[in-house]
Amino acid sequence: MLGELLNPYYLQVLCFILINIMLALSIYVPLSSGQLSLGSAGFMGIGAYTSALLTIHYELPLYVTILVGALLAGVIGIIVGIPSLRLTGVYLAIATLGFGEVIRVLFVNWESLTKGSVGLTGIPQLGRELLKFAKSIGIEPSALGLKNNQFVYLSLVIVLLIIVLFILWFVIRQQNSRIGRAYSSIQMDEKAAESMGINITYYKVLAFAQGAFIAGLAGALFAHTIGYISPSDFSYHRAVEILIFTVFGGSEVIIGSVFGATILTLLPEVLRFVSDYRYIFYGIMLVILMAVRPQGILDLYLFYRLKGKRIKRGTS
Amino acid sequence: MQKYQKLFLIILATFMLILLTACGSSSTSTNSGGQSETSIEDETSGEVIQAKIGVISYLSGAGAAYGEAITQGLKLAQKEINEKGEVNIELVIEDSAGEAEQAVNAGQKLMADDSILAIIGPTLSTEFFAVAPEADLNGITIMGTSTTADGIPEIGDYVFRNSIPEALAIPAAMEKAVKRTGAKKVAIIYGNDDAFTKAGFEVMKRTAEEMGLEITTIETYQKGQSDYKAQLTKIKNTNPDLVLASALYNEGAVIIDQARKMGITVPFVGGNGFNSPQVIEIAGDAANGLIVGTPYFGDSTDPKIVEFNKKYEEEYGKKPDQFAAQAYDALYIYADALKRAGTGEDRDAFRDALAETKDFEGILGLFSFNEVGDVVMDVTVVEIKDGKFVEFEE
Repeated sequence: MLGELLNPYYLQVLCFILINIMLALSIYVPLSSGQLSLGSAGFMGIGAYTSALLTIHYELPLYVTILVGALLAGVIGIIVGIPSLRLTGVYLAIATLGFGEVIRVLFVNWESLTKGSVGLTGIPQLGRELLKFAKSIGIEPSALGLKNNQFVYLSLVIVLLIIVLFILWFVIRQQNSRIGRAYSSIQMDEKAAESMGINITYYKVLAFAQGAFIAGLAGALFAHTIGYISPSDFSYHRAVEILIFTVFGGSEVIIGSVFGATILTLLPEVLRFVSDYRYIFYGIMLVILMAVRPQGILDLYLFYRLKGKRIKRGTS
Repeated sequence: MQKYQKLFLIILATFMLILLTACGSSSTSTNSGGQSETSIEDETSGEVIQAKIGVISYLSGAGAAYGEAITQGLKLAQKEINEKGEVNIELVIEDSAGEAEQAVNAGQKLMADDSILAIIGPTLSTEFFAVAPEADLNGITIMGTSTTADGIPEIGDYVFRNSIPEALAIPAAMEKAVKRTGAKKVAIIYGNDDAFTKAGFEVMKRTAEEMGLEITTIETYQKGQSDYKAQLTKIKNTNPDLVLASALYNEGAVIIDQARKMGITVPFVGGNGFNSPQVIEIAGDAANGLIVGTPYFGDSTDPKIVEFNKKYEEEYGKKPDQFAAQAYDALYIYADALKRAGTGEDRDAFRDALAETKDFEGILGLFSFNEVGDVVMDVTVVEIKDGKFVEFEE
């Protein structure tokens, strides 16, 4: 049973689910301060390319490069975040979508560095590096009753799971702190928040940069999970996909992002048996869901109901 | 706060459960190739080599036409091979939707299944680059039938391809074109945001330099562009003897059409992607004078190709393209290696047998692998003359 569960295929899908949860959170955080950012695909690309190039050319350890990739994405998030403060709603969405495209076109055209549309091959895989490390300190996978292959993916899943749990913990804690309350007050009414003495510029840029950082981190981990990246991985298509994760699951609550990313990554895999028609099913489900529950599957109202509290609809 | 955390944990646990049940159910449903195996087994019991081949193909999304042609070519070959009765191949087909992520998932699914002997696909080079290293590490043979980018067979010992790379097709076309026209100056136009057309451009540039041709200008365009007049004006002003165009047929046809309207009358030389009857349909008379190097020439009078065209049309009601032909040959190459390996269960024996493939007679011509697993075969050069593809004559 255990050997069956540790099938590399399941573990690989689990890896993508965890990465997609991070990406969904990277939209959720700016959204919790009222900013709809579609730049996640671009920030993800920055993180992925930075980390991949650093490992390929300078052979730096992965934990350094992944962090550098995420930080660079965060810094660029600040740079992009400041001028886009003036924009709200759809205007911000379009501007950030444009930013993502600029990044993609940069990857395509900066051929001396990124090899253009052919993409980067031979990126060290995180799981394999962990296997090497484990062997160097004398842990043999066979001693744990695992095949090398299983160890590679299991360690990868564990690392990703820890990172995701940490991000979740951080975001949930933050929501109940001064910063989180500032975010939600800005989301409710920017002018009212400002008149209450909240530094809007600071908090909006902070939320934007946090989203960029998480997206960059997810991108770097993506590069080291899949081992090959090309600009088409970070296209406009990806940006929309990430947005759907959050909207599908429910954008009001953090668990909605987790839920949406999990279900929507799993769905195409589970629907493999209908082969050619699976994306039709996927599309139909999205249409039905948006018609029936435009706020996403999970919302605050549902949570109150689950807790057994009765509240009037519309007060949340 | 406490309650929230508890709830969160409960929900997380539920997801994990959903995940497990979902994975459990999906593993039982494999997509068999639609062929009944039992009838053949009964006739020649014991003699037949059984093998399961995994296929990763681009079956849904923008480029699904490629994947469809490939799987149809494979299924046709599968039917014929199984009818002959020496080997019995079962195809397990998985969709990649043209995304590297999905292709890796599909690949992992196939590799984790110990009964799968080898893999054919994925369709795009960008998918292949993600899947092939994994297959190589797992010791499972993988062969691309439509992946033409540089560096693919070099990924590892278990990685092969039977599609002619641009590095073979373009130089052949260029040499013949230069020989006939005596061209000295060439202009290049290519799409720089596509792995395929960019790889083609690099080959063109290298070959032009090697042949001592003067490159008058290099112009680029973006995927989905519809107006090429700016680039073509520049090309026209430099007055080249030949235009080298690394483009896919849908964009290429528009380029050649606009070029003719602007008065550029010199021949165009293109890569494999330019080789489609669609070019004539889109560009009409303007397509005359296009020269391409290709592994597959559909209107050839070669009896093998004529027969293949007939069988394919009977089965699917349309003419095969080069992707179908390459996939068709690929499965025959696999079947041939299977016969020599003598077993359908040993992945390593199969790989060794495949690597020894030499002068295999497929519909595309004599086929061999070189030491890294790349294609060795002759390239046909064709040109469009009077609205038809004909073989290039010097």
